[in-house]
Amino acid sequence: MSKFIFKRIFYALITLFIITTITFFLIAGAPGDPIAAKVEQMPEAAREVIRTKYGLDKPIFQRYKIYMKDLITTGNFGESIIYTGKSVNDIIKENAMISAKIGIIALALQLTIGVLLGLISAFNREKIGDNIIRVLVVLAICIPGFVFAALLQYFLAFKWKLVPVFGWGELKHYILPVLAYTIGGIASYTKYMRSSTLSVIGEDYILTAKSKGCKRKRIVKKHILRNSIIPIITMTGPAIAGIFGGSFIIERIFSIPGLGRYYVDAVSNNDYTMVLGLTIFFAILYVISLLVVDILYGFADPRIRVTDSEA
Amino acid sequence: MDSVKSDIKLTDDIFERVGIDEEYSEHLDKPSITYWADVWRRFKENKLAIFGLVLLIVVIGTIFLGPTIAGKDYQYIDASIKDQKPSAEHWFGTDDMGRDIFTRVCYGGRVSILIGLLCTVVMFFIGSILGAIAGLKGGWVDNLIMRIVEIIGNLPYLVIVIILTIVMGRSIFSLVFAMSITSWVGTTRMVRGQILQLKEQDYIEAATALGASTGRIIMRHLIPNTLGIIMVDITMSIPGFIFGEAFLSYVGLGVRPPQTSWGALASAGQQKLMFYPHELFFPCLMIVLTTLSFHLIGDGLSDALDPKLRK
Amino acid sequence: MNSKKILGVKNLRVSFKTYAGVVQAVRGVDFYLEKGETLAIVGESGCGKTVTVKTIMGLLPKEQSIVSGEGVEVNFHNKNLLNLSENEMAEIRGNHISMIFQDPMTSLNPTMKIGNQIAESIVIHENKSEEEAKKIALNILELVNIPNAKERINQYPFELSGGMRQRIMIGIALACDPEILIADEPTTALDVTIQAQIMDLIKKLQDKKNTGVILVTHDLGVVASVADRIQVMYAGEVVERGTTNEIFYSPKHPYTFGLLESIPKLSDHKQKELYSLVGTPPDLTNPPKGCPFAARCKYAMKICRVKHPEITSFGETQESSCWLHHEKADLSGVSEILLKRGVSSAEFK
Repeated sequence: MSKFIFKRIFYALITLFIITTITFFLIAGAPGDPIAAKVEQMPEAAREVIRTKYGLDKPIFQRYKIYMKDLITTGNFGESIIYTGKSVNDIIKENAMISAKIGIIALALQLTIGVLLGLISAFNREKIGDNIIRVLVVLAICIPGFVFAALLQYFLAFKWKLVPVFGWGELKHYILPVLAYTIGGIASYTKYMRSSTLSVIGEDYILTAKSKGCKRKRIVKKHILRNSIIPIITMTGPAIAGIFGGSFIIERIFSIPGLGRYYVDAVSNNDYTMVLGLTIFFAILYVISLLVVDILYGFADPRIRVTDSEA
Repeated sequence: MDSVKSDIKLTDDIFERVGIDEEYSEHLDKPSITYWADVWRRFKENKLAIFGLVLLIVVIGTIFLGPTIAGKDYQYIDASIKDQKPSAEHWFGTDDMGRDIFTRVCYGGRVSILIGLLCTVVMFFIGSILGAIAGLKGGWVDNLIMRIVEIIGNLPYLVIVIILTIVMGRSIFSLVFAMSITSWVGTTRMVRGQILQLKEQDYIEAATALGASTGRIIMRHLIPNTLGIIMVDITMSIPGFIFGEAFLSYVGLGVRPPQTSWGALASAGQQKLMFYPHELFFPCLMIVLTTLSFHLIGDGLSDALDPKLRK
Repeated sequence: MNSKKILGVKNLRVSFKTYAGVVQAVRGVDFYLEKGETLAIVGESGCGKTVTVKTIMGLLPKEQSIVSGEGVEVNFHNKNLLNLSENEMAEIRGNHISMIFQDPMTSLNPTMKIGNQIAESIVIHENKSEEEAKKIALNILELVNIPNAKERINQYPFELSGGMRQRIMIGIALACDPEILIADEPTTALDVTIQAQIMDLIKKLQDKKNTGVILVTHDLGVVASVADRIQVMYAGEVVERGTTNEIFYSPKHPYTFGLLESIPKLSDHKQKELYSLVGTPPDLTNPPKGCPFAARCKYAMKICRVKHPEITSFGETQESSCWLHHEKADLSGVSEILLKRGVSSAEFK
């Protein structure tokens, strides 16, 4: 098991290194001069001062070396061009928690509700409950997240005035974004949980359990659940990625001061140092969550754990 | 067997030897129906799948014939009729520049579907070739490809797409490049898995023993055998890319005006949701209908390919 | 009912609803099992043998299968198992009647330690704590000849070979000393060298615990050394039954000839082609009205195609349903095969 974890961590580090490097060079080579856009009216001399400040006067490889050294030794993600004097670290510190809170609440809701609905659907296969759930799932999967967000905003907030349209800080402000986040996720978890449960129900070892004299309740608890939830764990990695994506849009629609909104703003404002810093931060989060999911998967499924550490 | 007892007399001639019923054995030797005919038959029986197919034809028909029938130009600006509700003259209403939304939705749809198709083609082209090579060659080639897959699979997809579109500028080409370059790894994994499974089977061994070249094995045996699962994946991938395009347009990285797409239209509509909801509704409706039709077709196809799952 | 008889099946008919129509998988099967004996049910795949034993265990999917037949009964100690509720059946399964399956690679729960899988039935049926059940499970592992039982008990199925997994399956099935063990093709998925070991193990445990065994197989070769009686099934019907000696040395039904002829024999010195039956079994959505085997039978007569044969008894134990046993039947060519097996044609009718 320790060998398995070690191998995974090693891969995660390589991935991070590659992402950081690629992102750095891509953004360094991006068209348009961010400084020029910001300080068009300034005299050339003043621009040079700013250029030096952001290290843009040095050759690209040197800049890369400095950036990486800074990142690894002090955890410094760089400084924003647009918000003068603000470092990417400040912005992360101030806003990451907001995004994380919504994301974690949404993911927890998606998982529990999705797994439950998937089980209900599978155990009532082809019956009315199953059919209703399946129709809803297909519809929910076919509607993009921002459409949900728009619909919720239009009806719940604007037409029926049940919740505030904008604003941030109180509990009631969480309702719309969390809902908008959650619906699509519930649908895909339900879909996968249903098919995973159905395929486990059809396995030979369920027949063995039945012929041992296990009653229905025991078969579900001891034999079906664990085996059908294992593939769901692997889905959680991509789901975390989905939360980043979701946060970009939903924070923008509901004007939530989270990291996702800063990222999108940075992209549209050509704030390249900010984009670079936040990208690397997102990448680290993403790779860590995949790592955790991988290790969890190893614990849940003995086959992976043992074969991998023996190999 | 009891009912026929009375009508048959046990005379001598009825005990005449007739032997094996040739007609019966011949009848059985005839190949009943080919695999694909059988798949098509099962697909046709699935009402939802046929509904999806009809829906898709209607959507595509509208997109291509719609502008001619409506007789409008998607770029024609008329400030006197801006933000109108749907009417006999403008079926989906007009936008903030007085342009006919129906015609714009049709043009946008062409772009969205084109992007969806192109991404899928590129993704499958790269994915299947690498997957086939990894699966067939094995050894260090397989190892190398799978390591690359592992690393790319660990990249935060959206962030990479965003960075690539920033660097490459906003165009259909850069959208397709960015989305397909990060998505082929799934196809590679799938094709490789299928090939490893098929490789175990006797007829591939027989073909290898008979001296068939790798290329021939791919063309003659593997592609026809993996085609089914690939087709399902294709139908499910297209809507994914249409979503992706919508998302990127939403973040401001979609196609450049005057070109438009469903994502771009929805993004524009979102800003005016409170007062002119129809400007968001129609592009979204088209996205939902298209996605829905692909999902229904994909589900029907996978049921038809694997009747065991239905039973 | 004879006191030695522990299981009696009467006029069992089972159909399945499928997309292609209603398949009549089992069409009027009768048989019994005595304490401690081995009954082999033999036939090609799709002849209804697995369906028959799954019906006894109550393992058929309720939604798609119909068990019918006039006066149909599955009697176990004077209890008709077909009338029991799902919970009452669960008390019988694994406790009084157990079953092992064809493929040991897929029959064990991949995420449960094998010790727990064996202990489970003891916990369910014998009111033992997990601890005690684990101890019994260890004994059972030793009983089914698993080396290093103390270590193996905490391993997962994927760490074991196919042969060992089938031993575990046998251990699970025999954990509560059932009166009947149903073995559905227990050796088909295993290597030839392992097959004999598994059959020996079943035999040994059967003798020790006086278990009645129903052995389902398509391979008459497996049956020869272990079965007391053999019942040959074709297209959902029993076409011939008898003691093992009777079936091997004096078969009465042409289908049984076919099965026997397809076993390779060491005594055939000449390079003889193995006998194989022509064609495939009939479509059971619409079974033929005559003898189901008529279309593939070398000796078929006109009557075979139109009228179902009746059962003819040969002594106390052997029965066969075939028109060749009729006094007017044309036996030319039949005697040749039978004479080779040392039977005269006079005995045939």
